[in-house]
Amino acid sequence: MKIKQEAIGDVYVLRLSGQLMGGPDADAVRETILSALNQGYKNLLVDLKDVSWVNSTGLGILISSHITVSNNGGFLKLMRVSRRIDSIFMVTRLNTVFQVFDSEPDALASFQGDSASSPKAES
Amino acid sequence: MAKSPPESSNGSGQNCIKLSIPSRLEYLGVLDQLVQAIAEQMDFDADARDAIANSVIEAATNAVQHGHQHQSDLPVSFWFEMKGDLLDIWVHDSGPGFDLDEVTAADPTGPEGLLRSRGRGIFIMRAMMDEVEFDIRQGEGVTVHMCKQVTPPSDPGA
Repeated sequence: MKIKQEAIGDVYVLRLSGQLMGGPDADAVRETILSALNQGYKNLLVDLKDVSWVNSTGLGILISSHITVSNNGGFLKLMRVSRRIDSIFMVTRLNTVFQVFDSEPDALASFQGDSASSPKAES
Repeated sequence: MAKSPPESSNGSGQNCIKLSIPSRLEYLGVLDQLVQAIAEQMDFDADARDAIANSVIEAATNAVQHGHQHQSDLPVSFWFEMKGDLLDIWVHDSGPGFDLDEVTAADPTGPEGLLRSRGRGIFIMRAMMDEVEFDIRQGEGVTVHMCKQVTPPSDPGA
């Protein structure tokens, strides 16, 4: 799995690609999220468009990330989830845990109504 | 007792594909491609193909992570037997086994289980396949058998 990251306004976006399945993936996602939190970002958005599948260990990574961000007063949301991954969210009822958006503009706009406030990226 | 894989039964296994992979998560992508291809050849629809692939990946993940503790020299074996519209799958590891009742005791969709980071693999397999059985033997390892039919079986009372 690969991670690309960028700040869009006060939202820190993680774009994952490949398969999310544990092992080194867990450390990579955790370190990226901790780095974003340490930079002061509270709004995190995970783009799953290029993730072909997720196993139960990968679900654990997303849940741990969600808890870490929530415990730091922030929000972690998901976008562009494939039909295949969505079917796992439905079966496991994780669709009730994660806010999932079909489009990036909708996902970014959704943070405007949340109470977490993140710093603008430093130039 | 779970049904045995073709080579250890009297079946000829002529419609059976066997695969063995090292216990490394990196190979799950290869496994996914094979399962998708088998399911497509049997005319499973897209949702069913994903369900089968998700389930095999869960079984393989358990074998690699828990059965073999990531010891890559220990192979995980798979059998895919195609009989008409029925796909039977076996996944075998040589690990020490586990207490099935204990592992599946908690409901991962309940209030206490929903935010747990582990314990969903078998739940996912059972939700996505028609049948899932475990044959856990001390010293011989764990064999998971699961199956799925292309179309749901008709009502036997009809």
